[in-house]
Amino acid sequence: ELGDPLAQRCGNTLTGVFVPGTRIALSAFRNVRFDSPDELTLVQEPVLIHMVEETSMFEEPALRSILAEANATFCTLQQLGCGQAVRGEYARVSCAYRGIIRACLEKLELEKKSPEVRADDRRLERLQGAMAVFYAIECVWHLFEILYVQQCQLVVPQLLEWARFHFPHTEERATDLLLMGEEAGEADPETYWEVLRSLVRLGEIDVTRAILAQSRKAQQPAYKTAEQVLKGMPVYKDNYALQKFLSQWEYWSVDTRRKLEANVFVGEPELEQLIQLVAGDKEQWDAGIRESDDWYQYLPGYLLYSKPTCKPFELRIAAANWLNRWALLRPGKELTSMGRMVLQLMQHDVKLFVFEAQRMSDSHWFSAHLIDIIYNAGTLRSYFDQNNIDLPALRHSIIYEYGSQLMSSSNLWQLGVDYLDQCKQEGRAAIELLLPRIFARSERQASKLLAMAKKRGLLVVEQDICKVLSKRAFDSQRYGSAIEWAIRSKDVLLVTGIADFILKHYSRTGTMLCPDTISSVGGRMFLAPRLVFLSKYFEFYEFYRHRDFLAASELLINLLQSKITPDYFWPSLLIDAMPLLESKDPKIFSKETVSILHHIETELVPLIERNVARYGEHNTETVFKDYRVENVNEILNLMRLACARNLARAVIIENTVPVD
Amino acid sequence: MSQNNVSIHYISEKVSRVRWLPEQLQQSERFLTGSWDMDRNFVRLWRLHTNQFATANVTAGGPPELLPRCMDKVALEDDVTAMEFVDKDTLAVSCADGKSIQYPSLNPLILEIAGHLSLLKVHRAVEEDLLERTARSECLHSFRLLPEPAPCTDLAVYGHDIATCGEDGLVNVLTAGNLRQVKRTIEADSLALCALHFIGQQQLVAANRMGILRLLDVRVASAAQPKTAFMTACRDDKSSNFVSSLASHPMQPHILICGTEEGTITVWDLRNLQFPASYISAHTSTINEIGFHRRDPSKLFTASETGEVWMWTEQRSLGCEAPKDGSSAWLCGDRVKSLLKPQGVLQNISKPINSFDVHGTRFICGGDSEAVYLIDGLM
Repeated sequence: ELGDPLAQRCGNTLTGVFVPGTRIALSAFRNVRFDSPDELTLVQEPVLIHMVEETSMFEEPALRSILAEANATFCTLQQLGCGQAVRGEYARVSCAYRGIIRACLEKLELEKKSPEVRADDRRLERLQGAMAVFYAIECVWHLFEILYVQQCQLVVPQLLEWARFHFPHTEERATDLLLMGEEAGEADPETYWEVLRSLVRLGEIDVTRAILAQSRKAQQPAYKTAEQVLKGMPVYKDNYALQKFLSQWEYWSVDTRRKLEANVFVGEPELEQLIQLVAGDKEQWDAGIRESDDWYQYLPGYLLYSKPTCKPFELRIAAANWLNRWALLRPGKELTSMGRMVLQLMQHDVKLFVFEAQRMSDSHWFSAHLIDIIYNAGTLRSYFDQNNIDLPALRHSIIYEYGSQLMSSSNLWQLGVDYLDQCKQEGRAAIELLLPRIFARSERQASKLLAMAKKRGLLVVEQDICKVLSKRAFDSQRYGSAIEWAIRSKDVLLVTGIADFILKHYSRTGTMLCPDTISSVGGRMFLAPRLVFLSKYFEFYEFYRHRDFLAASELLINLLQSKITPDYFWPSLLIDAMPLLESKDPKIFSKETVSILHHIETELVPLIERNVARYGEHNTETVFKDYRVENVNEILNLMRLACARNLARAVIIENTVPVD
Repeated sequence: MSQNNVSIHYISEKVSRVRWLPEQLQQSERFLTGSWDMDRNFVRLWRLHTNQFATANVTAGGPPELLPRCMDKVALEDDVTAMEFVDKDTLAVSCADGKSIQYPSLNPLILEIAGHLSLLKVHRAVEEDLLERTARSECLHSFRLLPEPAPCTDLAVYGHDIATCGEDGLVNVLTAGNLRQVKRTIEADSLALCALHFIGQQQLVAANRMGILRLLDVRVASAAQPKTAFMTACRDDKSSNFVSSLASHPMQPHILICGTEEGTITVWDLRNLQFPASYISAHTSTINEIGFHRRDPSKLFTASETGEVWMWTEQRSLGCEAPKDGSSAWLCGDRVKSLLKPQGVLQNISKPINSFDVHGTRFICGGDSEAVYLIDGLM
């Protein structure tokens, strides 16, 4: 809703137009239909145009680093290439991404505590929002990494670690208990046992044992048996024969159950509950489900006690069953989006997972990097093939989106370009469109833009940037800069235009603009004939100024015969010849004098005639803007006279044989 | 290629300049960064702390890992374009400025501060170091015909003299004691100047966008400036090639080294300006900064736009006797390649490295990857 009066009168309706970049221009709008009554629109209010821009969370400095860092990792991953490196390499990259998120979360936490942020409620809110989002990303990414990047055969230990990491609360409390030592059990027995229970549910057998061993009752038979049970639990290690492990496991669980049935722990009901959990007792676990924060919290723990050799493909069924149980016991609770994503991962529903990832409010950061690692690691290729999804195309579109978003936001263009580089022709086209749009505030930035375009071989972009800078310099009357940028742009028309301007300015006022630049054009002059003329004429001008008349006259003759003289400059050029013709000791040979005369008659005279025909007799100054010209005809006569005189002298001198 | 242990620290700012705080007798543990192209640009003072949490490195016998922590910052009006120390705790900072800024304290006066120079003072302390802006110059650079601010592009320091150059082609000389008054303004060029360097107390070299270097005399006004100009060599005669950075040999000040846009290094012997003494192809992109090690003149560093940092070492072990007075490996023309060995310090960064600094064996650099790269114990 726009607040301006015009919009209010029209019933707060809007119209919007997309502006290049990520902005939308909004203005008030009244819908006029064929049946709406004609009204006098005597509206005096100005039409206000509002620019709407999507806020990006990455304005926060702490969050910026996530972009830059992820970009570096992204580039590393591209170098690894698709499916060529060892699997461990991809896992390392994935780990690096998660490390970035964790470092960033830490930074955010620090930031949140700084006084600067505390005073600013909106910023605090933003930070908290960002933290929630990135925490969730880290969590699902971790799970994703376990299931699809590392691709271990047995997932339970990793899943346990994952659950522990994301529900650290229990571990913190357990540390407190450990520090308290003997008194732990007595001070607050209820929390004591609660912590122990959740420890067991998270599969932290060792910590549980340590806490139990500290207890005063540790020497009692019930505790001793419990210790035995927990200690005796077989843990699967790599390179273990699976069959052997399974039989050990079977033996241990039967033994534990027998001990429970034999009421060994009956004197210690709390302890008995722990052992029941370990034995996979349904009731105890149901109680756990009721206490859990989210459905997947205790799933890994349950798997540890019920199916320690769970394989990734078996996880699907286990997760479904567990979720059913959870839904039955917690009917009021709905799945959070994170819970849903965890489920999708466990159920091997990567398609939906990617879809869900795109909906996270992180400006596509997660989905872009996720899809890229899926594509590069190549472990899910067959899955996507089966589901008829074109994985490269999907990756393209997501990365493209992310990259162009970065490109079009004010100072992230250097990052965005790397993503667009991965998107083949579309990316190249987008760079071509977006790069010239970046406003170069200084020439330094411009040269960075140029380097970027050059690296990608975008000649058109390079030229565009140079042209813009040339025009800008020209408008602020810095002609030296203008001509330099024009030369860089290699645009013949632009160079010609500026050279024309300088020549015309000279013939009008007699002062040469930006002499230092023209003198150093050097080999670059061959870009445009006009520029060659300008530099050569400047050379002549310099010779003349330094009274090196012989060299000057030679150059002038060359210029006259070069056929690159622009029409408007003929008068100036010929007038320049006059003092050389008239000088005391002759400088121009007879042949050249004839040619000057020839030029006067074939170039200057027709020019004057054309001019007279067009503008009439008394309007000569339109063409002859030379500062030295007052009366054209007089000049013409003087020139002819000078030529004749010089010719006479030159002929005599040239034909005189020195008498020895 | 290199065994240097690089630690990377992301600082969420594009770094345009980085400098160690000078220390006389010890390794510097503080450095300053200036940022560019951000919504708000800062000069930040960082201090290295040992990482208490990373014990792996220490137990392995390596040096303790160092973590930079931001101690203080000063907001500047626009991009930082160059920073240089005037004395051991005064930093001159030039700023490219194209905006008019309204100061709340000066309301309703709008100050147009453009292409200006600031002095920042570092207060060292045991715990919290402070950084404070002590002086700021008036607008130094603006396009003459239109009253439009021009960015200041580089600065050079000699003793207490500070010279700045800008896109308007002016060179201004000031003293650190009084920034309000410009000692000398020289209309050096009609093109934008890219780099500036003192080659003596009274002499400056300014390089423009076309690759023309000019010798300027601080003592005389624009009209009486010596007309000494020389051009950098270039791979292709028809393409443009500007000088992006300048340095001179710390012991032999007549050796002037220019890094250029196309990534080549041109060496000039200032006693003989007829032709360049050496021409070395180095990087494939703009050399953003070039400079000798402050204490060890046999090492030269170059940082490029494609994210490479190289170290050039004079080969002493080739059996040739120590360079005679006045001659140097850098002036050997074609043989220079055999006398100097480039070595990669940093590679594969893919984003431009804008600046570096070396102090003792500590090397630091930063660029558009929004990170600083720290190498402790170079070589």
